[in-house]
Amino acid sequence: MAESVVTTVPGGWAVLAGILLCGLAFFAVALDAALSARAQGTGGGWGAPLGRAARLLRQRRRSTVAADTLLWRIGGAGMLVGAFLMIAVIPLGEWTLADLDVGVVWFNTVDVMVWALVWLAGWGANSAHGLVGGYRFLAHGLAYELPLMFALVAPAIAAGSLAVGDVAAAQDGVWFVVWMPVAFLVFLIGVTGFSVWGPFAPALAADIGGGVLAELSGVDRLVLQAGRYLFLTAGAAFSVPLFLGGGAGPVLPGWAWVLVKTVAVLAVLVWLRRKLPLLRPDRFMEIGWMVLLPAAVLQDLVVSLVVVWKG
Amino acid sequence: MGLSGALARLAVRATRVLVVEVPGHWATRMEVEHQLLRRGWRPAWTPADADVLAVCGAPGPELSELVDRLWEQMPGPRVRADITSPGTVGSALDAAAALLLDTPHHRTDAQERAQEPEIPEDADHGGHGGMDHGEMDHGEMDHGGHGGHGGMDMAPEGIPLAEGGEDRDGLEMDVLHLPLGPVLPFWPAGLVLRCSLQGDVVVNAEASMVDGRNDDEDDGAGAAGPSAGPAPAAVVRCDQVMALLALAGVEDAAACARRARDALLCGDEDAARDAVERLDRTVRRSWLLRSSLRGVLLLDRAGLERHGLPGHCRGDAHDRLLSRVERIRAEAGGTEPTPAEDGGVPWAVVPDLVTGLELGSVRLAVASLDLDPHPAVQAVGHG
Repeated sequence: MAESVVTTVPGGWAVLAGILLCGLAFFAVALDAALSARAQGTGGGWGAPLGRAARLLRQRRRSTVAADTLLWRIGGAGMLVGAFLMIAVIPLGEWTLADLDVGVVWFNTVDVMVWALVWLAGWGANSAHGLVGGYRFLAHGLAYELPLMFALVAPAIAAGSLAVGDVAAAQDGVWFVVWMPVAFLVFLIGVTGFSVWGPFAPALAADIGGGVLAELSGVDRLVLQAGRYLFLTAGAAFSVPLFLGGGAGPVLPGWAWVLVKTVAVLAVLVWLRRKLPLLRPDRFMEIGWMVLLPAAVLQDLVVSLVVVWKG
Repeated sequence: MGLSGALARLAVRATRVLVVEVPGHWATRMEVEHQLLRRGWRPAWTPADADVLAVCGAPGPELSELVDRLWEQMPGPRVRADITSPGTVGSALDAAAALLLDTPHHRTDAQERAQEPEIPEDADHGGHGGMDHGEMDHGEMDHGGHGGHGGMDMAPEGIPLAEGGEDRDGLEMDVLHLPLGPVLPFWPAGLVLRCSLQGDVVVNAEASMVDGRNDDEDDGAGAAGPSAGPAPAAVVRCDQVMALLALAGVEDAAACARRARDALLCGDEDAARDAVERLDRTVRRSWLLRSSLRGVLLLDRAGLERHGLPGHCRGDAHDRLLSRVERIRAEAGGTEPTPAEDGGVPWAVVPDLVTGLELGSVRLAVASLDLDPHPAVQAVGHG
């Protein structure tokens, strides 16, 4: 691409981007709490995120016998940091923080980092349940990561660029979600995967007492949980330039459309969590390799053929 | 006061409660679960996440010791609530909330308690006794990376190194000892399953009841007053369905089962029938749930006979879930009288059933059985 289609804003705007990300993640927590309250028939719930955060801020930190404290804390805090790294390449309408030539690869790099982070958080506590949780996540990772990579390839092929702004700009007409629904679906599965969310949360499941979370308290727990919500939000936001036409839309300005679409995707992901059972790692492995991976590769093939045919 | 007081008041609205059920005190536990949700509180799965430790019933000596150890593991601010009957649940939770707000009290508590986590000296054989969630579980985390196997006398920070053992493929693999229960979310009250794990596969298991309870029911009845005694079948079944659904991770369906249970318990028949109908539809429709429960602890006729299990245990976890929901429907709807009970599953056969399963499947398998809370069988099973 000869010239960039998005404007790179000065680094100071990163603060605003971070605040926006936190705001959206706050919405996700509140929505989840409200849905939970409704299912339990208890009403209320929208104010729950504040209460939960206050509780964890007030709670003391704790340790376990012979814990690997450094790696344990890196695992938790890394989740918080990773999500912010991810949004650096997501254009908000016409502005972006970093217009990398390889923006799509950047996103992928950060999501692969989650493998290490979740496993370290499980390992560090020196607890059997935490470790089982960590390995469950790795098993899921083995199954969702390759399909996710191939799903990321599809929009990049169609746009002929790995820069996220170019991918968004290439959709002036038909959104990629329309003719690459399989890639979109696999992408969303990947997002729930690296956020350890919904069906992909056996690493944090009740059957192993919370798994990776089993020994975490206070601010350490807050950081890891917040990291998950932030990753989910960042993943939902990334689907907008990749599949949902970026800032394209009538009446509203581009940045507003990006936010509206992000909120919509995020709301669907949050809602689905309560409806779907956990996907057991051993069983999902088969789905990942036998169904999702071939489907994503096939999607790439179709996209490539269309691109060649169009010349 | 200002800021920290406001923070405390906000925090108390999201309190998490670790519920410990003394065997037989199901009614108190259900009342606690019901009331804490109404306050916007949530149950905690581990002591690390808990603000309140709610002990339902009067624990025996063995459970008391475990409860004390759980108490030690709570990060604080922490409050303990001993609740002996369903009638006192409300006031006990009110008192807990009030004490949670008392910041100076918690500051003193934090200064006076042990500052470093430690393994209790009296931890029994090999140290894998007692601890319920495996936290600080001694004897477990010793993957050869810490300097090879061998020397049982090598015990960094009091944790003995793992011993090797042959795995399913005849290769040597570390064996980890992990007790499940008696305090574990969605687990039968009082049951302790001491598992030997290779990876996350249970290669050997031993079952016992905490405080050796099984013939001393009067003890529980005396302490609990109205709470003890046999639970209504439909309520127990709803509770079991809720546990299985929660373990499978379908939160909405599990919430539905809990509402049905609470409605049945307080005699609200219309609400119960609605909730059960909704539960039935959800469970039947979810193909993902079917795929995750399919094949878990599949028992055919020969398997039932070998373990001496009743006929309604036939099939896999999903079959048992469906038939259980079906029975709840019949009981709640009052369309037909309760079919003749062909008995529950004695806990002593659990080790035989779960040996060879992976940890997650063990939990689903145990939750899918009608475990008899007060079995006639006294023996301790070996897997």
